Amino acid sequence: MSQTTCRAAGLALAATLAAGFVNSANAQVLAHKDISIAMATTIAMTAIDNCKAAGYNVSVHVLGRNAETIVGIRNPLAGVNTYENSFKKAYTSRTFRIESGKFADNVGQNPVAAQLMLANIVAARGALPIKIGEETIGSVGISGAPGGDKDEVCAQAGIDKVKDDLK
Amino acid sequence: MIKTACGIAALALACCATSGANAQLLTTKQLSLPIAVTIAQTAIETCKQQGYNVSVHVIGNMGEILVAMRGDNTGPHTMENSMRKALASRGQRIPSGQFAENVAKTPNAGALRLGNMIPARGALPINVGNVTIGAAGASGAPGGDKDEACVKAGLDKVADQLK
Repeated sequence: MSQTTCRAAGLALAATLAAGFVNSANAQVLAHKDISIAMATTIAMTAIDNCKAAGYNVSVHVLGRNAETIVGIRNPLAGVNTYENSFKKAYTSRTFRIESGKFADNVGQNPVAAQLMLANIVAARGALPIKIGEETIGSVGISGAPGGDKDEVCAQAGIDKVKDDLK
Repeated sequence: MIKTACGIAALALACCATSGANAQLLTTKQLSLPIAVTIAQTAIETCKQQGYNVSVHVIGNMGEILVAMRGDNTGPHTMENSMRKALASRGQRIPSGQFAENVAKTPNAGALRLGNMIPARGALPINVGNVTIGAAGASGAPGGDKDEACVKAGLDKVADQLK
């Protein structure tokens, strides 16, 4: 009898504690750091200027935490596909939290990679995740240079420009 | 007989004149990347100075998006809204606020059934002389007049280059 009471009390206590813990965890809002329009514009324009200096006209997208467009810039001197392509590369990089080129390498040997059947995913190099430490808070994607490796160099230049503020 | 000959000659001329016109390429002006970015940034900064966060779209001659910028802490609809204001302005070649006034008197205006045109103030056409080559729209300020003022500041900034 006393053992049963004790067990019941124990369970009740455990349940109360668990409930309390869950409640308190749910009651806290998530605190994020997000990319500002100023930072996004700096990344985008630095990337464009770097590619321009290398002789390439590129379009660029900088996406935020939810893959929302913060800055999208179409280069009128680049191909018509580049605006869409830079978005898709960036989207891919943001959602998988890796370089879009790394994603392309990963799925390259798999002709039925399911990720490629999702909207906006593209297996093409030229986008990089934007990170604070290990946390991905956005991405930047470039399209228009003759080769995704060259797009990626410009994306990296954009991120490097603001690296001191990514903290 | 002479009359017929004249008729044929006239037809031949008409034919050649048409060919000649078709053979000429259109020469149009296009917004450059630096101009489009300057318009957008100036609009955002102008509104920022007045205490408003806005999103901005600058679109080109065919309604293609040249620059899309999401303002800090703006509502999620401001990106779509600034684009649709700009498209209304480009399509009608007038301020989107003027378009709003025009269609307010005709609730069944056909233009409102087209994709993306929205009757809301805050976008202005970008003109070279009398020719519209694009538009810029803002959304996020408390009132389309305030959005429009920021867009105007953006256009003023590049006025010397719009020629």
